[in-house]
Amino acid sequence: MKTSVNTEIAITYLSSRKKQTVVASAGVMFGISMFIFMQSLMKGTNDYFEKMSFTNTPHIKLYSENKVADDHMLTGMLKDASQKILTNPKQLNESQGLTNPYGIIDVIKKNKQVAAVTPQVTGNVIYTSGSVELPGNVAGVQIDQEDKMFDVQGNMVSGNLHDLNRVHNSILIGKGIADKLSLHTGDNITVRAGNGNTLVMRVIGIFSTTVKAVDETKSYANISVVQSLIGKDRSYVTEIKVNVKDYNNAPAVARQIEAITGYKAEDWVKANEQLKAGFKIRGIILNSVIGVILLVAGFGIYNILNMTIYEKIKEIAILKAQGFAGKAVTSIFLQQAVMIGIIGGIVGLIIGFSLTYMVSRIYIGAGMLKYLPMSFYIPHYIEALAFGILTTVAAGYFPARKAAKVDPVTIIRG
Amino acid sequence: MNETALKANGITKYFHDPVTMQVLKSIDLDIKRGEFVSIVGKSGCGKSTLLYVLSTMDTDYEGTLEINGVNTTGLSQNHLARIRNESIGFVFQFHYLLPDFSCLKNVMIPALRLGKLSYQEVEEMAYQKLKMFGVEEQALKKAGKLSGGQQQRVAIARALVNNPTIIMGDEPTGNLDSKNTEIVFDLFRQLSQEYNQTIIAVTHDNDFAAKSDRVVEMADGEIIAHHKAGTFHQH
Ligand SMILES: Nc1ncnc2c1ncn2[C@@H]1O[C@H](COP(=O)(O)OP(=O)(O)O)[C@@H](O)[C@H]1O
Ligand SMILES: [Mg+2]
Repeated sequence: MKTSVNTEIAITYLSSRKKQTVVASAGVMFGISMFIFMQSLMKGTNDYFEKMSFTNTPHIKLYSENKVADDHMLTGMLKDASQKILTNPKQLNESQGLTNPYGIIDVIKKNKQVAAVTPQVTGNVIYTSGSVELPGNVAGVQIDQEDKMFDVQGNMVSGNLHDLNRVHNSILIGKGIADKLSLHTGDNITVRAGNGNTLVMRVIGIFSTTVKAVDETKSYANISVVQSLIGKDRSYVTEIKVNVKDYNNAPAVARQIEAITGYKAEDWVKANEQLKAGFKIRGIILNSVIGVILLVAGFGIYNILNMTIYEKIKEIAILKAQGFAGKAVTSIFLQQAVMIGIIGGIVGLIIGFSLTYMVSRIYIGAGMLKYLPMSFYIPHYIEALAFGILTTVAAGYFPARKAAKVDPVTIIRG
Repeated sequence: MNETALKANGITKYFHDPVTMQVLKSIDLDIKRGEFVSIVGKSGCGKSTLLYVLSTMDTDYEGTLEINGVNTTGLSQNHLARIRNESIGFVFQFHYLLPDFSCLKNVMIPALRLGKLSYQEVEEMAYQKLKMFGVEEQALKKAGKLSGGQQQRVAIARALVNNPTIIMGDEPTGNLDSKNTEIVFDLFRQLSQEYNQTIIAVTHDNDFAAKSDRVVEMADGEIIAHHKAGTFHQH
């Protein structure tokens, strides 16, 4: 396609005022590269934290809530709710376990969206080695299932997690515990439960999650070992952990499981409300910053085009005298705005990408977070370009309309 | 033959700033295809104002205007722009080229706007027009870099590029020396005789006027006389 005469004039005007063109494009470029860089950083960190939260939280956790005694059955019998029967209600001393856990697991497994289900028994314990004591908790798990859901293997510092199934009374401890009790794989550790039961266990491995509070308290053992340690039978399970195929569906699946089992099913969104609130606030801050940058860039373009029109008013009159209609003149100036937007936009995309890439290579080495988590997400680039061009068109529209309204006779007459 | 190129009826115009003043007083004018008309008169008598009305650029007047048989009074700005682009070539008193563009581009722009010819054809034609006025060597120079006389010749070339039926000039030779004035006059004469193009030129140059087909003499916003070829002499 041959370029129209309007385009040719627009290009000539832009290239004969290089300085202004560069300044206007730089504004757009800055806005767009910031847009991309900040979106990439935010999505990167959000994704990272979301992923991190799944390394020790399941998508859905099913557990029995501590119930407080209530009087609904008694008032039901009395048929008079105004009468207060229970004063100072206490927590029920029911076992905190789930009734018929393996039956529940079978039911949950029938849900097509469920990817993995595993029971857990958690016991509060005190670790002892020599004279040092350390409080913590031991998770009784089926280690193969656990590894499938949380990639325990990926956190292993030493040892082999499958030894948990092979070695009698074995335990896998956090690195913090190992450090504080100066233990190594193959050493023995004494574990005492709340009920006084004590068990000497063999450390078959050490893991590190980078979360200090976890590494200094948590250990894994076989579910049957923990059940007997805390003096419970084989059907005693404190929670059932569920992963679903698409974690975004977790809340809906949780509601279904709650409805079927009658137990509280907490999905990760609920469990991480703070995380989500953080995402939201950062999103608002980010969008305001980007909005301001684009607004400033828009004003820059508006000003520069206004100046151009003021300087070129005689030439606009000549063009109109020679038969350029108002819409042709509008097109000449709007095209200048769009070209500024495209030039600034494309350079902005490249700079935004380079900046994102460079920052993603900066070593920060905070725990498992070796590099800043930057995301390279194509829709960010499309959005950035669309916003950039939208801004320039909006900024160019009013000056262009003004140019179209120039009355040639008034100008030529002088 | 003898079709009407331009017909003005009762053209009346006022300026309201600083005080209301009647600049054109019911002007009737009939110009045939191929006619070479000069408009003369004292400075301030309304020649330029009349020419702007006749060119369709100024639409703030009373009376009616017909160009090539089309009544242009009351047409939309877009419609008038198309008529100007296609049928009217205008040479301004002070050349008014676009200084950022080459001379060739300046001449090409109205033809590109018209869009009847390919880019190459327009380029070729624009170059021919520059050659007619002896400024082809300046073709690729920026218009702003030329002398006043050269710019005026480029401006005339530009007015001719779409082969308009009517060519209007407001003192088109005002900035030219006698040699170049003669070149332009001879060219206008040729265009009117051989190509049946109509020339309407406001001029202060009585020799130039005297050689045209008709001299329209204005005074105080009115036409006071039409002088046939060879009957106009300086008073
Ligand atoms: N924009 C204007 N506003 C008010 N008066 C004007 C304007 N332009 C021209 N005039 C007046 O109109 C009269 C005719 O002007 P003009 O047509 O330029 O004369 P000429 O071209 O014959 O010298 C003059 O008296 C001039 O002062
Ligand atoms: Mg004048």
